[in-house]
Amino acid sequence: MPFTPKKQAFNARINAVTLGTGDKSVTIGGENVLPFYSFDAPIPNKPLIAAEISDKLLAGVNAPALLAFYAGCETMADMARKAETMPGVSAICLHFETADPNAENTSIEECVAKAKEVADAVEMPLIIMGCKNVEKDGKLFEAISSALEGKNILVLSAREENYKSVGASAGMAYNQKVGAESAVDINLAKQLNVLLSQLGVPAASVCMNVGSAAAGYGFEYLSSTLDRVKAASLAQSDAQLQMPIVTPVSPETWVVKEATAPEDENPGWGDVEERAIEMEVCTASACLIGGSNMVIMKHPASIATISQFIDSLM
Amino acid sequence: MGKFIVIGERISVTAPTMRKAFAERDPEPIIQRCEQQLKAGAHYIDVNIGPAESDGEEVMQWAVKLLQERFDNVPLALDTSNMKAIEAGIQVYNRSKGKPIVNSADAGSRFNRIELAANNDAIVIALCSADGIASDNDERMAHCQRMLEEGLMHGMEAEDLWFDPLFLVVKGMQDKQMEVLEAIKMFSDMGLNSTGGLSNNSNGMPKHIRPIFDSCMLAMAMMQGLTSAIVNPNDQRLMETVKTCDIIKNNNLYADSYLEI
Repeated sequence: MPFTPKKQAFNARINAVTLGTGDKSVTIGGENVLPFYSFDAPIPNKPLIAAEISDKLLAGVNAPALLAFYAGCETMADMARKAETMPGVSAICLHFETADPNAENTSIEECVAKAKEVADAVEMPLIIMGCKNVEKDGKLFEAISSALEGKNILVLSAREENYKSVGASAGMAYNQKVGAESAVDINLAKQLNVLLSQLGVPAASVCMNVGSAAAGYGFEYLSSTLDRVKAASLAQSDAQLQMPIVTPVSPETWVVKEATAPEDENPGWGDVEERAIEMEVCTASACLIGGSNMVIMKHPASIATISQFIDSLM
Repeated sequence: MGKFIVIGERISVTAPTMRKAFAERDPEPIIQRCEQQLKAGAHYIDVNIGPAESDGEEVMQWAVKLLQERFDNVPLALDTSNMKAIEAGIQVYNRSKGKPIVNSADAGSRFNRIELAANNDAIVIALCSADGIASDNDERMAHCQRMLEEGLMHGMEAEDLWFDPLFLVVKGMQDKQMEVLEAIKMFSDMGLNSTGGLSNNSNGMPKHIRPIFDSCMLAMAMMQGLTSAIVNPNDQRLMETVKTCDIIKNNNLYADSYLEI
C-alpha cells in the first residue's frame, strides 16, 4: 500500500496583521500550520526580521563590522535609512532605551521628535520599543502613536500594568498595532489578549510578545511557551491566542556575557563580535522554529543568515 | 483534545412559543432564542421541528437559511424524524463553520439515518438503543458497534459518529445512572465522540434542582470522556461547569477571564 502522509493543516489560523503602509507594508501571520510546515498547507506570509536601532545610537557598541555598517550615521534617522538597505530587513524597530527615568530619562518630546524624523526618512514599517518602565512607556507609546497616526506602527508593548492606557491610545484612538507582552506566562499571555479585546482593541490589531530570552538563559521556558501558544491557537482553535508573535531577540542576546566579555579575558572564546552574532543567530532561529512570526535583530551578518535560513525552509 | 461541544437545545417544537413560531414562520422568536444561546457559548444550535410530516422539507429549509444567514453560518443540528426534511435542510446548509449534524439515528427504526449522514457528509448522533432502552451496557455497546460499522462501511470517518448513551431520568432509573456513565467511558476508550440529551437525567425535578443535577452529571460525564452534550446553554451553572471542566481537562488554556469567553 502506498504511504500517504496525513496533512496537518488546522481549521484555525493565526491572524494576519499588517504593519506599515504603502509598498513597504508587511503582513505577518495568516498560517494554519505549525511553524515552517509548508508541506501541510501553504504559508501565506513568511516570518520577517526587523532591525533594531537604539536611541543610544552606537554608544557602547564593541563590534567593528556593526560600527562599519553604520559608519557616518549621526542620528536614528541616519541609521534607519541605512538599516533599510540591509538585505533581509522588512521593518525598523526604534528602541527608546534612554527614556528610562532611572537612566538618562530622555523626554517624551525628544523621543517623539526622533520617531518623526525616522518616519519621514524611511518607508518601512516602524516598531516602537520602550524602556521597560511601564509608566513612562505608556506615555511614550501614546505620544508616538499620536504623532505617527496613519503610519500603522506597532508599539512594544502593552503589559498587565499598562494595557488599558496603551490599548486605548495606540490600539483604539490612533489605530496602531499593539504588542501584548507577557513574560513566559501562557496564562497571562491569553489573559492580556482577552483584556485587550474586552477593552475594544480589535484582535487584528494585536501581536504578542510572549517573552524573550537569550539561548542558554532560560530559553527552554520560552520554547515551551511558544509551543503551548501555537498548540492552543491552532489545535484548540483558541481565538485568544491566534495573534502573531513578535519576539525581540537582540535586546536579550547583546547583553549576555557570551556577547560582551572581551576576548583577552577569555582567549578560548574567540572574537567577541563573532560570538555576539552567533548568540543572535542561535536565539532567533530557535524563536522562529518555535513560532515567532517576526524577530527583532541587530547585526547585518546575523540578519543575513536568518533571512537565508527562513527562505531555505519556506 | 478539542473543547467540549455545546449543542443548544432551546429551538424545539416541544416549547409552545417555538411550535407557534415554526407554524406561522415567524422568525423573531427563533432568532431571539438562537442569539441567546450563542451569546451564552453554544457551539451548535439544535433545530427541532418535530415530526413535521406534511411540510418538514419547507420548514427545515426555512429555518436553516434563517439562522445561518442571520448568524454567520452558525453550525446546526437538524432534529426531526422526517428524513426528507433533514436532506432538504442539508441542501441549503452552509458548512463553512462546521458540518451539519443529523439528529438522530439509532440501532432500530432510525438505523438508515447513518447512511443518510454518510451520503451527505454530515455528522450523525447515534443513539445506542433500538426500539427501547438498552437493558445493559452489553446491549448498548452492541448497538454502538453495529452503528459504527454501518458508518464506516458507507465511508464515514469514525469521528463523525457521535454516540449517545441515552441519558436516563434519575427519578425512576436511579440505579442505571452509573451504567450510562460507564458506557461513556467505553466510547471514550474506543476513541469515539459522544453526546446526548443530558438534562434528561433531571426530568421531573423541581426547577431549582435541575441545574444542580445537570451540572454534576455533566462534570461526571466529562470525566468519563463525554465530548459534547445537547443542553440549555442559558443555564449559567451548567456553562460554568463546562468551561471549568474544559480547563481541568486541558482542552482549553486557562486565563483569569475564562468564564467570560
